[in-house]
Amino acid sequence: MATRVALKANGKKGSKTSEERSTVKCLKEWSTWMMKKAKVITHYGFIPLVIIIGVNLKRKPTLSQLLTPF
Amino acid sequence: MASHIGVVPPPMTPAKGNEPKTAEKIDYLNLPCPIPYEEIHREALMSLKPELFEGMRFDFTKGLNQKFSLSHSVFMGPMEVPSQASETIKIPTAHYEFGANFLDPKLMLFGRILTDGRLNARVKCDLTDNLILKANSQLTSEPHMSHGMVNFDYKGKDFRIQFQLGNGALFGASYIQSVTPHLSLGSEVFWAGQHRKSGIGLAARYNTDKMVATGQVASTGMVALSYVQKVSEKVSLASDFMYNYMSRDVTASFGYDYVLRQCRLRGKIDSNGCTAAFLEERLNMGLNFILSAEIDHWKKDYKFGFGLTVGE
Repeated sequence: MATRVALKANGKKGSKTSEERSTVKCLKEWSTWMMKKAKVITHYGFIPLVIIIGVNLKRKPTLSQLLTPF
Repeated sequence: MASHIGVVPPPMTPAKGNEPKTAEKIDYLNLPCPIPYEEIHREALMSLKPELFEGMRFDFTKGLNQKFSLSHSVFMGPMEVPSQASETIKIPTAHYEFGANFLDPKLMLFGRILTDGRLNARVKCDLTDNLILKANSQLTSEPHMSHGMVNFDYKGKDFRIQFQLGNGALFGASYIQSVTPHLSLGSEVFWAGQHRKSGIGLAARYNTDKMVATGQVASTGMVALSYVQKVSEKVSLASDFMYNYMSRDVTASFGYDYVLRQCRLRGKIDSNGCTAAFLEERLNMGLNFILSAEIDHWKKDYKFGFGLTVGE
């Protein structure tokens, strides 16, 4: 009887920790996925963002001024 | 009443004698705001560590607006590759870098992208009068080689606090306080999760109009002392001493900084047998010619570079 009770107690503990572990894993995976996407977005979009902010000011530069180096 | 009026004028002359004494008395509640913790060695770094390079460099900055500018930069020259052998390995490289800058009193955006796909981005935003957000990142196409860091700076009346978050579980905090009008003391703590390192450091800075002396100690084993003396408006001399008590590495250097009307010349000599010089000559309005030289007699490594900078 004592051994059965002990086994049951271990089973309960195991299930609780496995649930906690899966939620923590889920959070970690989701945050890593978000960081990867954010990194790709920043890598491709930062310079266009700066150009869009710079172009939308009062004195708008023209497209030709943007492209030529003079 | 007449006796009172008679009594009042005589105390005026001793009060005049006391005025210079009261001007020297320190008002401890009204101290100036200190320099940010990471800029504590600013004057010494400006004189002793110019941006030395090897090869040819050409920078062109085109201002399109009052706040917005684009920059084109070309570099051709050997780049050093870190190697374990005593000889340095240099690989000739050439790259073109395109950049966009946006400068506002409240927001600064700075982006640079290279031909091999590396992006270097910096953002500085004044959230309120006293709180500044800074972010700095270097992104590459290679996995696990990108870095990013975010700083929150709070500027108090006579102190500054900074919190840092970086990728790879990097956390840092620093605090610097003005103790007298000339002396400020600070400390920093950092914790790097990925490399399993943590450390604490202390720093002190004493500056007057003519000189700046700083000292910094860190638990990573680094002791750095520096002294900069402003000899005149155009000339300043700097010296620097760095000691690592874990690896028993000692370096002392001495340098000069001449700011003249048409040029700025900086030179230094090191205890590692390395002499360097950096000249920026203003040829015309917006046209600068740069010469850089670094001679390492010990390792027999000679680096010479020249360049041209066009634009503001």
